Amino acid sequence: RDELPRLLDDGHGVLEMPSGTGKTISLLSLIVAYQRAFPLEVTKLIYCSRTVPEIEKVVEELRKLMEFYSKQTRESNNFLALALSSRRNLCIHPEVSSLRFGKEVDGKCHSLTASYIRAQHHSNPSFPVCQFYEEFDAVGRQVPLPAGIYNLDDLKDFGRRKGWCPYYLILHANIVVYSYHYLLDPKIADLVSKELAKKSVVVFDEAHNIDNVCIDSMSVNITRRTLDHCQNNVDTLHNTIHKIKETDAAKLKEEYRRLVEGLKEANVARETDVYLSNPVLPDEILQEAVPGTIRTAEHFVGFLRRFLEYLKSRLRVQHVIQESAPQFLKDIYDKVCIDRKPLRFCAERLQSLLRTLEITDIADFSAATLISNFATLVSTYSQGFTIIIEPFEDRTPTIANPVLHFSCMDPSIAIKPVFQRFQSVIITSGTLSPLDIYPRILDFHPVTMASFTMTLARTCLCPLIVGRGNDQVALSSKFETREDFAVIRNYGNLLMEMSAIVPDGIVAFFTSYVYMENIVASWYEQGILENIQRNKLIFIETQDAAETSMALEKYQEACENGRGAILLSVARGKVSEGIDFVHHFGRAVIMFGVPYVYTQSRILKARLEYLRDQFQIRENDFLTFDAMRHAAQCVGRAIRGKTDYGLMIFADKRYARADKRGKLPRWIQEHITDGSLNLTVDEAVQLSKHFLRQMAQPFRQEDQLGLSLLTLEQLESEEMLQKIAQVAHQT
Amino acid sequence: VHFLFSFRAMASLSEEVLLVVKKVRQRKQDGTLYLMAERIAWGPEGKDRFTVSHLYADIRCQKISPDGKAKVQLQLVLHSGESTTFHFANESTALKDREAAKELLQQLLPKFKKKANKELEEKNRMLQEDPVLFQLYKDLVVSQVISAEEFWANRLGGVTNTDPAQYKYKQEVGISGAFLADIRPQTDGCNGLRYNLTADIIESIFRTYPAVKQKYNENVPHNLTEKEFWTRFFQSHYFHRDRINTGTQDIFSECAKQDEKGLKSMVVQGVKNPLVDLLSLEDKTLDEGYGVCGAQPSTSNSNRTVKESSNYAIIKRFNHHSAMVLAAGSRKGETSSTDGNSRDSDFFQPPVKKVKLQEEYEDLQQENRPKTVPLNLKKSDRYAHGPVPLQSQQYTTSQDIINSVNYIQHEMANYKPNLTQVLSSTVATSAISALSPGGVLMQAGAQQAINQMVPSEVQGELKHLYVAAGELLRHFWSCFPVNTPFLEEKVIKMKSNLERFQLTKLRPFQEKIQRQYLSTNLTGHLEEMLQTAYNKFHIWQTRRMMRKT
Repeated sequence: RDELPRLLDDGHGVLEMPSGTGKTISLLSLIVAYQRAFPLEVTKLIYCSRTVPEIEKVVEELRKLMEFYSKQTRESNNFLALALSSRRNLCIHPEVSSLRFGKEVDGKCHSLTASYIRAQHHSNPSFPVCQFYEEFDAVGRQVPLPAGIYNLDDLKDFGRRKGWCPYYLILHANIVVYSYHYLLDPKIADLVSKELAKKSVVVFDEAHNIDNVCIDSMSVNITRRTLDHCQNNVDTLHNTIHKIKETDAAKLKEEYRRLVEGLKEANVARETDVYLSNPVLPDEILQEAVPGTIRTAEHFVGFLRRFLEYLKSRLRVQHVIQESAPQFLKDIYDKVCIDRKPLRFCAERLQSLLRTLEITDIADFSAATLISNFATLVSTYSQGFTIIIEPFEDRTPTIANPVLHFSCMDPSIAIKPVFQRFQSVIITSGTLSPLDIYPRILDFHPVTMASFTMTLARTCLCPLIVGRGNDQVALSSKFETREDFAVIRNYGNLLMEMSAIVPDGIVAFFTSYVYMENIVASWYEQGILENIQRNKLIFIETQDAAETSMALEKYQEACENGRGAILLSVARGKVSEGIDFVHHFGRAVIMFGVPYVYTQSRILKARLEYLRDQFQIRENDFLTFDAMRHAAQCVGRAIRGKTDYGLMIFADKRYARADKRGKLPRWIQEHITDGSLNLTVDEAVQLSKHFLRQMAQPFRQEDQLGLSLLTLEQLESEEMLQKIAQVAHQT
Repeated sequence: VHFLFSFRAMASLSEEVLLVVKKVRQRKQDGTLYLMAERIAWGPEGKDRFTVSHLYADIRCQKISPDGKAKVQLQLVLHSGESTTFHFANESTALKDREAAKELLQQLLPKFKKKANKELEEKNRMLQEDPVLFQLYKDLVVSQVISAEEFWANRLGGVTNTDPAQYKYKQEVGISGAFLADIRPQTDGCNGLRYNLTADIIESIFRTYPAVKQKYNENVPHNLTEKEFWTRFFQSHYFHRDRINTGTQDIFSECAKQDEKGLKSMVVQGVKNPLVDLLSLEDKTLDEGYGVCGAQPSTSNSNRTVKESSNYAIIKRFNHHSAMVLAAGSRKGETSSTDGNSRDSDFFQPPVKKVKLQEEYEDLQQENRPKTVPLNLKKSDRYAHGPVPLQSQQYTTSQDIINSVNYIQHEMANYKPNLTQVLSSTVATSAISALSPGGVLMQAGAQQAINQMVPSEVQGELKHLYVAAGELLRHFWSCFPVNTPFLEEKVIKMKSNLERFQLTKLRPFQEKIQRQYLSTNLTGHLEEMLQTAYNKFHIWQTRRMMRKT
């Protein structure tokens, strides 16, 4: 994989490699080798991945790599690499860490470590503080973390041994591994990633959804409930100010003085107090003093009130409204005389106020924070955002449930600073096809784009496109036929037949929750599920994450003990995004239908329009691209490496079309033969039987030697080097 | 008087009579049934002896005729497989008589079951667990080729040698996932449904839904009869899981609530494996309210339509059902989760997670095994077949060999090809083509797999024959060398057994395949094996005769 060195010198790249083929390790080893050879060129590697287990896996790979280095060079190296995560995953305080939700943990932590709390503790030792943080502050701050590889649990372990808080044990590492929100979400990036040097290499792994992450981090939804909460918050603020004014007016004056002088920076040195951060990107933040109208605390609270009332009035609509940010600003100026400039400072001003008032339960103020973040965002960006106010949900037009969506339509806004700041950014995943669309929607110019396939000693994946039922009814999830009983019955037949021949686990994905619920109900009525139960247990994903986790664990248990199970799941759901079905946990994946996004959503429509106008991407192209990347993501869950094997069944005749098929990753595409394009259920069953029987034969090291496994001699041989060069040339 | 006398005679054996039922027919003969302390007996009317008498310990189970049948019957099935049927013939009280006998037996049999012959039970278990053995037993013992003692003679030895603990912790049988589907309701023709419940299904229901079992224990038989209970169960909305609003009068509405609670507690417990915990999977700090589709309103129950929530209920029930079935299968032994994976005890890394994280391809590891020398065979078929024993009859002396070599040499020296009488080339080609695969002469010899030519039931039968023959031959050959009188006796008996087998089993089979025109000689090998045994026997016998004379 000789694309990388070019990349590391200058520029960005997009790489697609099937999972389980050593994508992580080859990236890591190359970059680390580069780092060792040119320590001044590349100072740091920032490796971003999606889920916590994936992050931890990366660190384990890194550990292996480092062990190999020290074995080969016979000297210990002074590399420091660590995984970073939220307080929830790192906290070792017995009371705080027992909390289940990240927000609670953050809030509780703040209430134990904020500077004024600690000051109070100083005067009154019975006041509770976090002993781990105290210990760290007293002793650990000067002592650097010894070189080595630290996973999340290692960090916790280290913290426990020393009695230090691991969350604050940050960070002068050569390699940092964390979730990509930490780099993309300006609210967090400002805290965590501010001091990263320019000469860093950034890797986004599992980045097929990176555009959505970018968009999510910049979008805000406001409901009536949010506004009510915010109202309470504002009242609390008002009362607190009132109280403080009587007891400690000097504090408020001091704050005012600072704001006049624009001395915000001088104050933020205390790390534990920086709980909230500006929602907009660093280069958009104005470097000037807070405007006079919101400088005093009362004025600011009044300002918030006014803004809140305005939002309330906007939510009292009877029909859908869509407008741009400038339109919104004009309207707000016309109606309640709020200027753009104070709005831009809203988030910052609220932070300052909360700090001054020494509010401990920051988590309670999430609504006020949300509103002020919205104010700042809407007044900062005039391009790439849209405001949609919907008075009710489309499905339930009688129930009023107004929502204001402030939604980002341009993923390149959030990721732009990353591309600008770091010398090379690598975007990689198992499913990035078609590759050329990512640079377009993320607006950057890659030096390299490549899609690698697997070199397999045996064809361990078997993609089949089932387009017809045994009665020749065309199978499709498209809108016109989705209620058709014949299609539903044939889908049921397919699952039933498969449940009889596939060993252990089968995962079936549907296009949406609603669709799945309907199909499950009619399968139940037709007695199909009963017949499936004769072969395997059935578990079904629900919208409740905890319930699904349980179902998932039971599913794995059933696969483990030999009973076999079927998991019915949803594309774009949590399961399809983060859970791998290695080996017997997924011997077959069935994709019922093409997982198009719900196209009637106004936000999506706005985004499609934007994409068409700004990037010249046709709606249909983007929708198909989006559907196919999710389909590939779903079926790709089953194959996690060359020793794994599995069936991939695409149950929709539309997959056979060249425009759909061509958007699948190359490593799947090259195994789709012309003969498997429009199969009936029976034909698919026959092919599957054959495939499974073949795959179940023992697979030994000797079979792979020279193909997918090379000895050192083979690797160095002239012939093999040529072969590799040839393959690289093709890509 | 006569009867009383005989009765007294029996009583003198100090047997307590627990129940006497008159007018019980057995094999169309009227008589009286006695249930005594240790056995059940029946004597024909007017006779002073019992023609039927079974120890309770010998009885495996009792069966009764279904209600509503004209004949009121009770059947006893013995461990040996035989059965005896009693017909209660007293018109007015037949049913009551039968019930009384049944009740009493029900109490008595379990007591004796425990006492029952350990060995018998052991044999029974072996037969039940090993279908091949059972078939063999049927083939050899039931058809009286060999006696039961002979059959078991060297089998039980093996049993006692193996670790008995292995059998004590027998693997528990799980529950079929589709047991509810197996209760196929049948219309009974007059606007009603009939459900067939077997003991297995009831057991499955109880194990899967403990709440139903609890209800059963509470209500049966005080409030409801068994039948009523199940009738209500099937009528209940609980059984029809797609309806959500269970009425309050329904005794099963509580079950539904309990299930709900169980499911909730399972969910609240969370998962042990952090890799599947969707809640902690993502490391993002986006609060509620941020993101494109942050407000996901359809989860709230308030604005779901009726259809949606019923669909949701189905899904939930399926998850619950599968989880319960799974749990019932593995209830014993591993429910206590002591692996320390829970979140509050994370003082050490959960082993599951660690293993998963450090997973590695085996083939990338260096081999540390000591180097072995590969076996290098020059003639692998010699290795595979082993040395062939010399047979006495065909033994050739070295003189013979030398003579024959000389002879061949002599012949060869004088050989002159007679080229005028050789085949012409055209004839030769046709001969070759006829003899090559697919040719006229090669059709019969074409290697066609046996499984394609022979119907599967014949194959099955052949398989049974092989197993049985193998068993008999094993007995036979195990007698050699014959060095004790016992073995002598046995070998003779086994030979006759073999002959009987050939006569009663093999011959009919051969005739059958002949009738079906299956040309191939399927039984050739079997016969050959038997013939080898006979040969051996004859050699042994002639030797013995010679020694005697």
